[in-house]
Amino acid sequence: MHDRHIKFLLIMPAFALVTLTILYPLGYAVSVSFMDWRLSRSRAPTDFVGLQNYVRAFTDDPSFWNSMQVTIIFVLGSVLGAVFFALLIALLLSRQGTVYSITRSIVALPFAMSPALQGTSFRFFLNPEFGIFDRIIDKLLPFAASIDWLGSGFWAMTWLIITDIWNWAPFLSLMMIAGLLSIPKETLDAAAVDGASSWKRFWTIILPLLAPVLAITCVLKAIFSFKMFEYVYLLTGGGPGEKTSTMTFYAYRQGFVAYDMGYSSAVAVLLAVLLVFVSLVYFRLIFPKDGET
Amino acid sequence: MSLTRKQTEDLQMVLRGAAIALVITVFLGPILWIMLTAFKPLSDVYTMALFFEPTLDNFRQIFERPFFLGSKLTNSVIISTFTVLIGIPCALLAAYSFSRFPFRNKKLMFFGVLATQFVPPMVVILPIFLMFRTLGLLDTKIGMIWINLSIVLPFSIWMLKGFVDSIPVEMEEAALVDGASRFRVIKDIVLPVCVPGLFITGIFCFIFSWNDFLHALILTRKEAVTLPVTLGSFLTEEGERWELMAATGTIILLPMFAISYFIQRHFVHGATSGSDR
Repeated sequence: MHDRHIKFLLIMPAFALVTLTILYPLGYAVSVSFMDWRLSRSRAPTDFVGLQNYVRAFTDDPSFWNSMQVTIIFVLGSVLGAVFFALLIALLLSRQGTVYSITRSIVALPFAMSPALQGTSFRFFLNPEFGIFDRIIDKLLPFAASIDWLGSGFWAMTWLIITDIWNWAPFLSLMMIAGLLSIPKETLDAAAVDGASSWKRFWTIILPLLAPVLAITCVLKAIFSFKMFEYVYLLTGGGPGEKTSTMTFYAYRQGFVAYDMGYSSAVAVLLAVLLVFVSLVYFRLIFPKDGET
Repeated sequence: MSLTRKQTEDLQMVLRGAAIALVITVFLGPILWIMLTAFKPLSDVYTMALFFEPTLDNFRQIFERPFFLGSKLTNSVIISTFTVLIGIPCALLAAYSFSRFPFRNKKLMFFGVLATQFVPPMVVILPIFLMFRTLGLLDTKIGMIWINLSIVLPFSIWMLKGFVDSIPVEMEEAALVDGASRFRVIKDIVLPVCVPGLFITGIFCFIFSWNDFLHALILTRKEAVTLPVTLGSFLTEEGERWELMAATGTIILLPMFAISYFIQRHFVHGATSGSDR
């Protein structure tokens, strides 16, 4: 067989599978978003309604606006928080030695942990009567004793973000450690000999060299923050009220609880559009200019 | 007050040690607490007790009526294993093709592979639900393997392409000149060299399908339910059975311990071997 055929034959299985499960459904979702379709009334889309679902989202649905705000707050909080803590952990652990490599293994655990398990167990830990997080915080900060963490909009969002940071900061820090360890030791030693304090070395040498990695981790984290579902579903249930109802969660509720497929698809498509913008930034960063990949 | 050089170094050591201890507590603590809770007798579940008479009662309960965790565990193992066994060969073939052959719009195609990772599952899940309903794949293991393959293939191709790229082509060219077929070349030359890459990619695939929650939540009901989805079933209107949740959680965690070690090594090993040079 000629190479020309072989190269397509080789990518065929993967390509067919991905097309069938991502590209085709994506197109279908976009088309459903222009339809009126209540699953409770009909097993198939009933009417073509044009942009009506989108118009409804923007002009006639405070819950949708709320979900957009919630999403943006969550994304900002979780991206900044996760990258900040990841950097701290990376600076601490980017050294050779057994203690450091064991600690890195431990730190890699949260990323491998099921998000569903994490959401459920953090809910358990935050229980105002017997949760371990609640007990510890009450000990350390007695004035916080009366707070029902998941019962207040502010604290529910804060814990949602903390939960997400707990999961992601370790993984992002491993990405950064790889970058940090590749900074030549001579450069840092030379600066130290010249009398630069560690604080100064951080700002003038480490941070600039790490900047590309930081940019990539920020955007990568943002993409995953937009898609996050498990923690809302299992930790806060979108509540209290709709205080933590992100767009992903809202689309889920509209589709699989209210059975309004057309509207659910419209919300999901709007989320996808937001993500496209963020992803474009990401690809700009990892494929700079027109270099061959 | 000025510290001697020795004192400054000691102080730094102590601070560093304290920081490491804090990091370990923060990230290991919650995981250990879940596992501890799993072995607690009911009377200790709602206390902070660190010492108690450990019991396997919670594990016994989740495998009995009405939870029957055994079948869900089997589902999870079968789905994740087959996702890896089917996904890795498909990904390797595609990665090889992307790495070795010229394509028109190669960059765009590769961009497309990666871009699928960024499609929110919530957008495509409804059409997939309908498609599965038509094909009779709702609530089946085959359906779940299929959906997991679509989750893991894009990043597997991406990861494996990196590994294939790093293999020098000269060896393959020599074999091809000697008349070996492409498939021979992949099997006898590329595959053996790629084993570490296949291994780490396989681990990632396993984690992602083992932990998948959203797809299993929507696409399974009874027959093909996986472990993560069962977690919610312990928290019902009738009562919240945290000790059973913790026992199930401990089972979900088991493969992770082995795996996190390899992930850490994958990231840092690559980096340190580079800096030695």
